[in-house]
Amino acid sequence: MSKEVKDVQKLENQQQLKWVGKSVKRIDGPAKVTGEQKYKTDFNYPNMVWGKVLRARYPFAKIKGIDTSKAEAHPDAVCVLTHKDIPGFNGFGIVTPDQPVLCEDVVRCTGDAVALVAAESLEAAEEAINLIEVDYEPLEPVTDAEAAMIQGAPQLHPDGNIHSHVTIVNGDIDKGFEEADFIFENTFYSPRQMHAFIETEGGWGKLEEDGSLTIQCPAQYGHRDKLQIARALALNPERIHVYSSPNGGGFGGKDEITVQIYLALLAQNTDGRPVKIHLSREESVIAGIKRHPFKVTVKTGAKKDGTLIANKVRAVADTGAYASLGGAVTALAIEHASGPYKIPNVDMEGFCVYTNNGIAGAFRGFGVNQVCVGIETHIDMLAEKTGLDPIEIRKKNAYLQGDRSSLGHVVSSSVGTIETLMEAEECDLWVNRELYKSQVSEPWKKRGVAAATSFHGVGMGIGTPDYGAATIELLKDGRFKVGVAIEEIGTGNGTVYAQVAAECLRCEVDNIAVIQGDTKETLDSGTISASRSTYTGGRAIATAAPNMITLLTEAAAEILNVSKSEIELADNKLIVAGDESQSVNYKQIYEKLYEQHRSMRVEGHFYLPREKKELKNSGGAPHHLYGYMTHVVMVEVDTLTGETDVLHVVAIPDVGKVLNPQGLEGQSEGGAVMGIGYTLYEDILIEEGYHKTKNFTDYIIPTIRETPIIETIPVESNEKSGPFGAKGIAEVVMIPIIPAIMAAIHDATGARINHLPATPERIYKAIQETKKQTLVSR
Amino acid sequence: MKTFHFKVNGEEVSVTCPPTKTLLDVLRDQLDLTGSKECCGKGECGSCTILLGGDSVCSCLVLAGQTENVSITTVEGIGLTTKMDVVQQAFSDEGATQCGYCTPGFIVTARSFLNSIDYIPTDDEVKTALGGNLCRCTGYTKIIKAVQTAAQIQQAEKAPS
Repeated sequence: MSKEVKDVQKLENQQQLKWVGKSVKRIDGPAKVTGEQKYKTDFNYPNMVWGKVLRARYPFAKIKGIDTSKAEAHPDAVCVLTHKDIPGFNGFGIVTPDQPVLCEDVVRCTGDAVALVAAESLEAAEEAINLIEVDYEPLEPVTDAEAAMIQGAPQLHPDGNIHSHVTIVNGDIDKGFEEADFIFENTFYSPRQMHAFIETEGGWGKLEEDGSLTIQCPAQYGHRDKLQIARALALNPERIHVYSSPNGGGFGGKDEITVQIYLALLAQNTDGRPVKIHLSREESVIAGIKRHPFKVTVKTGAKKDGTLIANKVRAVADTGAYASLGGAVTALAIEHASGPYKIPNVDMEGFCVYTNNGIAGAFRGFGVNQVCVGIETHIDMLAEKTGLDPIEIRKKNAYLQGDRSSLGHVVSSSVGTIETLMEAEECDLWVNRELYKSQVSEPWKKRGVAAATSFHGVGMGIGTPDYGAATIELLKDGRFKVGVAIEEIGTGNGTVYAQVAAECLRCEVDNIAVIQGDTKETLDSGTISASRSTYTGGRAIATAAPNMITLLTEAAAEILNVSKSEIELADNKLIVAGDESQSVNYKQIYEKLYEQHRSMRVEGHFYLPREKKELKNSGGAPHHLYGYMTHVVMVEVDTLTGETDVLHVVAIPDVGKVLNPQGLEGQSEGGAVMGIGYTLYEDILIEEGYHKTKNFTDYIIPTIRETPIIETIPVESNEKSGPFGAKGIAEVVMIPIIPAIMAAIHDATGARINHLPATPERIYKAIQETKKQTLVSR
Repeated sequence: MKTFHFKVNGEEVSVTCPPTKTLLDVLRDQLDLTGSKECCGKGECGSCTILLGGDSVCSCLVLAGQTENVSITTVEGIGLTTKMDVVQQAFSDEGATQCGYCTPGFIVTARSFLNSIDYIPTDDEVKTALGGNLCRCTGYTKIIKAVQTAAQIQQAEKAPS
């Protein structure tokens, strides 16, 4: 190990840090608050043409013919493309490329693309697209995931309707239930949540004069998009450059290909003119991926003393017409379906099933949101039954670092569950909950307070490549350019990258220029997903930094005419050890290296640690690392209407180490509110394959009025593999709040809602039902 | 096609376009003022908010034909990075922007609200004033704080020293 590597390691363990752990303001803040920040969908060019996609008219139909002649005759049409015009493979999909770029013989959802048009104006493109005549033979759509699994159901794909089936079995489930004093069994239904990023899918493509292709498009993994575009266009991927940062929000919804391949195809047919696509919200609702609706049946066995002893789970996920990441979502759901606990006997299985209900894919939480409600609700019911404290039950069953989890593997990475629970039971909202509950705003309203815990894997799990890479380059003005491909999507990862680099290189944050989402300038560093970007990108930078320090030290030694071992890194300069008067700054070093034509760029690579053995049939479990979290919430339910407000949230994430308190709070607050939306309001309704929800007029996301008081109390478990001890939290921040709100509604009213979203109608009915049962039991 | 004359951020402009083109499209496509964003195109999200006269309105609901002789302020007119308005500074300092796509709309709405008050608003007052703007990233908590911080600074600046 070199001296420079040791120095950076020592630095990471230091208590007194200059940048890390501080609320450094977002480096992109000023550009964003003034509107100066250009998003990909903001670019316009004088010779630009507009692209438009023809979507399917039916959710399931055979295509008997496509006639484009009238569209081609439109005076302002530049090109009209169908499946015949795809030079390469007509399909895309991150894991299984089962989604046609342009449908040939069948459409499987109304979001399917059938043809593309480029025209002189958006209006002309819309006119031309409507002139395309498609001869369909409509088929009976498959609208229910369980019906799709039955033999004899219409087959949507050659291998049948079950895209994947995963299982995790540990211990002896039957014996577990035999030994149980209490058994709880319930079925939970979850909504088709929409990402609702504020910037809809779009961007532009251009065929450059040298024949290379430029794609500018908000996206979550530009390097992978490049490969998917190359496959469809039969192009050398090195001839494609994707610029994918910044994103106007993503949350997983821009993880899969959105419009990149359409842009690439059109750009190859517009004679070098840039082509722009920007989906309307209505088109985004229909064509964009959504969160998988799940039906989850959970049976949990427990002892009188609160020990969880058995958990059986069967989950069915509706992935819609295409797989996208449905298989991985289902696998992650099953991996997390028994919570962050050590339940000795589990038997869990998940099915990912094709239907004609749009398309589902990656979304913040990635399956865990849907399954966490089972185990958490059952713990709450166990507490009610036994009179034990619900937080105590969780503490009793939570695994510690070094324990065996419910999956049967020894968890060797940091685990902060107990610490989050201890913070929960000490927080004011929990301690004084009876007082807060008595302070109802109206006599017919009732308040409830509840807590829930969950966890979420960081990174990809076993079987999927997972690595980070960073470059650091010394610039002419003595600043450093830090390149990490992982896109800026709103989380502020770029600011954290600057903090980590500035800390390691002992310079000012202002002296770091961060470049992201640029396949030409940055090395492949994986996705902005899986709660991985701070952890992975940060570690890659901390790995590159010693290489830069070596480079600087060598040059400084030459300039100062001393041996390398005498050189020491100081703030914004290098000095001769013990003699601050002999120093060189980074600008002088640049000049020296430039004169001698020497490289000024270093790299750092990070392969995420992973478990050695994959659990059989699990689809990638277990993860090496998880983030843990407890939420405490207070709700107020209007018993006359069922309307429910979340009034107060205490968010307690185990973050490993806080790198930027303001950024962490921002994630926590945003995650909490997205979790409120999931639990109480949001659902894309699809009937017979057609979207009934069209826009924000009928898809209700929380507004500022629904924002509760949110406190964030981070717990630091110091994850040794992460940069300065940090781990990812972007997804877990919206997870335990879901069962916590459900339990708080029960605490307030006695009613349990197992079908989300918990709309006023559902809550009202459940309250009435609870009243009836209470009367009967009397 | 018709030509319309109006003021944007203090400058006289004339734009030739179909009268049914939305003001948002005029600003974005013809005047390259892309700070105003389209998110829903229906007046639901507030991402395209501008000041028309002194009122905050959704520019996706205003047609070019309605702009003759009006005065418009977009987010760029409120302040640029070289000289940010107090509300922009507060949003940046308080971490009230994440992906940032909704932020220009919030800035314009918040500016309009702050123009109408000379006190530090309560949480509920901020919530009422900004109820028409959607944000998916921040959970709004820091936006509330930013508006209050801006009000505080605005008050301090106005106070006779």
